[in-house]
Amino acid sequence: MTFLNFNTTRILLTAALALPLAAHADWAQTEKDARGQTVYFNAWGGSEATNAYIAWAAKEVQSRYGVTLKHVKVTDTANVVKRVQTELAAGRTQGGSIDLMWVNGENFRNLKNGGLLLGPWAESLPSWGLVDLNKPVRSDFSVPTDGMEAPWGTAQLTFIANQAVTPTPPRSAAELLTFAKANPGRVTYPKPPDFHGTTFVKQLLLELTPTPAALQQPVTPAAFASATPALWSYLDALHPHLWRQGKSFAPNAAAMHRMLADGELKLSLTFNPNEAANLIKSHQLPALAYSFGFSHGTIGNVHFLAIPVNANAQAGAQVVANFLLSAPAQAHKADIDVWGDGTVLDVRKLSAEVQALLRKQAPGALTEAVPTLPEPHASWVEALEAEWLKRYGAR
Amino acid sequence: MLRIDHLSLRRGDQALLHDLSLSVAAGEVVAVTGVSGSGKSTLLNWMIGDLPSAFDASGELWLDQQRCDGLPVEARGIGILFQDDLLFAHLSVGQNLAFALPAAVRGAQRRMAVEQTLADMGLAGFHDRDPATLSGGQRARVSLMRTLLARPRALLLDEPFSKLDAVLRVQFRAFVFEQIEQLQLPTLLVTHDATDVPPGARVLNISDWQVGDA
Amino acid sequence: MAQAIRRALTGSPRGTAPAALLAVSLVTLIFAPLLPGLYWALMPSMQTPVWQALWRDPQWPQALQATLVSAVLGPALACAAAAAFATVSYPGAAWQAMQRRLPLLLAMPHAAFAVGIFFLIAPSGWLARAIGQFLAWTDPPDWATVQDPHALALALALAIKESWFLLWTLSAVLGEQAVARQMVMARSLGYSRVQTWQRVLWPQVLPRMGWPLAAVFAYGLSVVDMAMILGPSTPPTLAVLAWQWLTDPDERLQAQGGAASLVLLGLFLLGALLARGGWHVWQTRRAYPDGVRASATPRHWRWELPLLAVGYAVLAVLLLWSVAQTWFFPALWPTGVSLTHWLQADWVPFWTTLWLAAAASLMCLPVVLVWLEWGPQRWNAVLYLPLIVPAMPLVAAQYAALLRAQIDATPMALVWSHLLWVLPYMVLTLVGAYRAFDGRLLTTARALGCSRLRACWQVKWRILLRPILAAWAVGFAVSVAQYLPTLFAGGGRFATVTTEAVALSAGGNRSVLAVQALLQIALPLAAFGLAALWPRWASRQRLGLR
Repeated sequence: MTFLNFNTTRILLTAALALPLAAHADWAQTEKDARGQTVYFNAWGGSEATNAYIAWAAKEVQSRYGVTLKHVKVTDTANVVKRVQTELAAGRTQGGSIDLMWVNGENFRNLKNGGLLLGPWAESLPSWGLVDLNKPVRSDFSVPTDGMEAPWGTAQLTFIANQAVTPTPPRSAAELLTFAKANPGRVTYPKPPDFHGTTFVKQLLLELTPTPAALQQPVTPAAFASATPALWSYLDALHPHLWRQGKSFAPNAAAMHRMLADGELKLSLTFNPNEAANLIKSHQLPALAYSFGFSHGTIGNVHFLAIPVNANAQAGAQVVANFLLSAPAQAHKADIDVWGDGTVLDVRKLSAEVQALLRKQAPGALTEAVPTLPEPHASWVEALEAEWLKRYGAR
Repeated sequence: MLRIDHLSLRRGDQALLHDLSLSVAAGEVVAVTGVSGSGKSTLLNWMIGDLPSAFDASGELWLDQQRCDGLPVEARGIGILFQDDLLFAHLSVGQNLAFALPAAVRGAQRRMAVEQTLADMGLAGFHDRDPATLSGGQRARVSLMRTLLARPRALLLDEPFSKLDAVLRVQFRAFVFEQIEQLQLPTLLVTHDATDVPPGARVLNISDWQVGDA
Repeated sequence: MAQAIRRALTGSPRGTAPAALLAVSLVTLIFAPLLPGLYWALMPSMQTPVWQALWRDPQWPQALQATLVSAVLGPALACAAAAAFATVSYPGAAWQAMQRRLPLLLAMPHAAFAVGIFFLIAPSGWLARAIGQFLAWTDPPDWATVQDPHALALALALAIKESWFLLWTLSAVLGEQAVARQMVMARSLGYSRVQTWQRVLWPQVLPRMGWPLAAVFAYGLSVVDMAMILGPSTPPTLAVLAWQWLTDPDERLQAQGGAASLVLLGLFLLGALLARGGWHVWQTRRAYPDGVRASATPRHWRWELPLLAVGYAVLAVLLLWSVAQTWFFPALWPTGVSLTHWLQADWVPFWTTLWLAAAASLMCLPVVLVWLEWGPQRWNAVLYLPLIVPAMPLVAAQYAALLRAQIDATPMALVWSHLLWVLPYMVLTLVGAYRAFDGRLLTTARALGCSRLRACWQVKWRILLRPILAAWAVGFAVSVAQYLPTLFAGGGRFATVTTEAVALSAGGNRSVLAVQALLQIALPLAAFGLAALWPRWASRQRLGLR
């Protein structure tokens, strides 16, 4: 008996010690497999700061790991989901055209429910150890990630205005309605299903609904019918005062920034609290532009990276994801002069200089602390978009 | 009477004609001969009012005591006949002729006048024929009658016989000069073939008005 | 059997039959996959529930209306503008001046032109700023001048761009016949210029303009890139809607997209029939010539200036935006000028477009030459079909065929998809000069002992160098301007300057957009420049070639 115990213990101990070694050996194998691969990274290309950062990451990944990263600029991630669906439906279970995708929310949910994602892989990345688990990095719009997507950064809905024209901005849905009435034709939002527009609608819903708790649960027709009437009556009241009387909407947030710069609009919105600073620096917003949030908070979320199950360069994709999650990449991303996207890493585990970098300020960025409201459950997104299109999608 | 006063034609720096003066009486045919490229056709272009923009002209054109050189083509009242018959392909023979009839002839009379003209030409019954189905000689005759039906006060002929074969040439020439005589039109004929000139007509060589080694 | 085929193909001596077969098979390679592709792409739409769903879709009525407005009004205005200009100024100095400028304007691709128009007439565009200088505006006016719900901005842009094309084809038609002489003849009979055009020239010229007019109408129905930049968005035109549905993986929406493509095709056929019928009625009802002469009204206005001015204004505003550092409304001129946008420009789409257009046009050139030399010329009408059929169903057919063969998103597939439009344009450009070539030169060469191929290579094609290069430049320009084939066949992997310009036009940075639009213009201009200069250099000691 003792002999067995001793041996069992020894075996177990060796196994326990070998596990990290095995994992390390696995990762070394992955890195080796990745060398020479080309990774097609389908990511939203609507922000120059983001595109420039991804270009930097491509250079780094090439020199460090010999992986070629190609950024496929996407306007709507839903199209990428559709492409993966089409490929798998056509029987292409290997050698798919998408290796890595930037995704969250309802897109992730559709991918996960359709069995279209590789996984789990996220938590076996070496960089996972630095991730701040207090942030919602394991659940995406209340849907568990199950390790099928790796967190990349944080986002918060932020509004932008011009100090010279709008010294006191609206800070709630009610104030926004008053503001729109006082400034007819100078306020609008991107047309859903653009994700900025959808998030704006969700933001209003969170403020106006009588039952905020129901939004964290999967949507049902009854819940939808009881939660949303206040939203639709608000929008019905708001639209006649909007730009083009609400008969036509801005195509996306970037167009709204342009219209804000020219004075055609008085408000714009973004997911990146530091975007205004980037735009002022690149002369696309006037110097007096500033960011602000609503007094009761705005929606914030975490965005992720996922790998389709039929990806061609799976090893390469994981290596790229690991690099993007690593401390130097996250620091560079959070640098307000580069992109300014919030980090998902635990700040306390990072070096002092990186912490200083994260605290850097720039004119135009969001300076006040705006509370973060949680995203509704992913299933609400499609229901809201469908209803919005039905009511306002055609004139 | 058709009169040209002190016409000078230039093309850029190059002078084509210098101080050409000419007058043609009613019913008279004046022939202008010269080698190819000497400016005969350009002279006719100026007279009809269609001088290409590459040319400059100075001089006066008088028709029956009315100055014409400043008027547009349609206001001059000068008829022209080219080498090609230029019948309008989308109209029938009769419609081609009716096109030229003045508006004073109205209604059913127009068709009657056209039929009469065709009969006089020996082409009775050709009213609704497609011009492309006519022979070369027939087309030439229709073209001349079309020009004359518009009641021009002068006539310009730009080598009108050169595309016809020998037999047709003689016939058509006689026909043309007979009409000119009948209508007493001052006529300027441009040709490089001496046999085209009717007996008794003045023959002028364009080199008389050309400068230098033209 | 072989004899029969040979005779059917050429009806001429034995030696040319294999060459004819080669010509036919090359063209078949480009066209044949379309037939099964059309079946795969459009068969799912042939069911009643699909059409019912289309009918009930809330976006359908307004999309249809926007399409009809832009596709009928645009080409109609283009016709009117071209006709008015020709009536007033042919064949005078103004006409000549316009002819000289037209090739430059025609080289401008549609997407870049649409971007320039956007920069000019948007509420914060240059024209609004110019007006704002006088009216002291601080904010842009609340006018829907672009992306308006009735697609009027799109119609205007189409009208201007297509008027240049119609003027160019008109000049080709006018040059063929002895039109100038007919004009003098009719005017000497006492009719004014306008009457001459109405009664003499248009009845003869318009039937010969049938193909160009059909092409303009088909383009207006099926244009996607200009519609995305200038057209409405809620909802978009039917062509854009069809494209969105066709690329959706939901099969019901795909079938709906196929149905919408068939609607576009149906609209084209309906329009063509109505035009044909109207023309026939007008011709048969033509009154007996009444001889009424209008008074001559001499007009010396330089009508070509507005048409040309728009083209120059578009170029100028694009150049200004590409070097502008800061340029907010209501400033009339950029407040900061820098070359950063050029230095930091993304040149990848430029190089992609360059190799793609070069490959497509160079691959097409031998096919065109072989076809014109040995191919059965009776079938030219089939070659011209892609020009007059709305592009959407054809692109969908190509995509379906490529998907089945599993070669979509490869460079080869992309080049192949462009050939369908490059080939007809090249044939169209070259066929006139090719037919006008004096065949006796070739006979002489062959009598001296050359084979036909050698005679062509050493004699015919060298003498025809200028038209051949012009056709190549046209093919190059056509490939640069392609939008839908690049998106479909390329699977979104290949970014050309055209796709970049359209994608950037929805965004915020106008300077980057201006740079890409200018790059898009530069490519065909370079090709046309090369096509003009090379023959001049090659014939520096052979004036007979000019």
